[in-house]
Amino acid sequence: MMDLVERIKGIDGVEVTVQRHNRVFVDVDKDRVIDTLYYMKNVLNITQLSFMNVVDRINEGKFEIFYVLYEREEKINVIVRVWIDRDNPVIDTADKIYPPAHNWEREVAEMFGIKVEGNEDAGKPFILENWKDMPPMRKDFDSVKYCNEHYVFRHSEDENE
Amino acid sequence: MDRLTEEQAKTIANMLRKRSLWMIHYCTGCGAVELPPTMTSRYDMSRFGLAPFVTPRQSDILLVTGYVNIKTLKRIITVYEQMLDPKYVIGFGSCPINGGVYWDSYSVIKRLDRYIPVDLYIAGCMPRPEAIITSFRTLMDMIDQGKADGYKRYKRNLAYYKENQRKVLG
Repeated sequence: MMDLVERIKGIDGVEVTVQRHNRVFVDVDKDRVIDTLYYMKNVLNITQLSFMNVVDRINEGKFEIFYVLYEREEKINVIVRVWIDRDNPVIDTADKIYPPAHNWEREVAEMFGIKVEGNEDAGKPFILENWKDMPPMRKDFDSVKYCNEHYVFRHSEDENE
Repeated sequence: MDRLTEEQAKTIANMLRKRSLWMIHYCTGCGAVELPPTMTSRYDMSRFGLAPFVTPRQSDILLVTGYVNIKTLKRIITVYEQMLDPKYVIGFGSCPINGGVYWDSYSVIKRLDRYIPVDLYIAGCMPRPEAIITSFRTLMDMIDQGKADGYKRYKRNLAYYKENQRKVLG
């Protein structure tokens, strides 16, 4: 455990937080994230990308993108976090390093409107069908307003047509 | 013996029809967990001549269990239109009635009866197997009395249903 953490701390420009015995957070800058992931895959031998998603930090005006990696030998989750600008959300693709990232990037692109450079499928319709509004997982998407515009609610006085 | 009148033939057909209902359950949501006890030995719905079935073309009942979002609505309409007359739709649980806990979800439709005609709703989240059995008995009575006429309403108001479907499916 400590050996791996020390080696992660040796990477340039990362900030490491050990939250508990099997969970390590690694904060990186936006332009270093692909290098960091590459290093973790090929040098530190962290082979598995378990999960990747986004948190909408609307108060800070940022998106927090995190990659949950799993180290199989010592059973440690390494979570790489990167904060990007909310107004101009662009990330580089990680699917050349971790192939499962391909589809998660498609989901992220569709649900949060994040532009993924290098992933030609991101931005194509994926889960939603015929979606024309703003990406629905953003915090400023008003779900009730959207429902009022698109669906008809049942009111108690309605008769069954 | 004289020939049967059309009215008499219909009565006999309804009487026989209600005793052998085959059901296709479109398990969109969590409602499906209540169906195995209903089908199997504990509550044993085959006592009433009901049987689960696998294809829409041989089924009489379409059971929509749980919330219906836009993607599943497309498939439900396809399944419903594949079924042969007479066909009956049961909305299962509170989600097809008014959205249930998904009342503010961006992808879940709030009222199933705007898109396909629903003969019967089972309220509750979840309905117990007793409620499901009761609803099937009610449906049988409705068929016997000729009140379960959803498929006729669908033909009669096709423009209304198609317009609503087009509005959400685009």
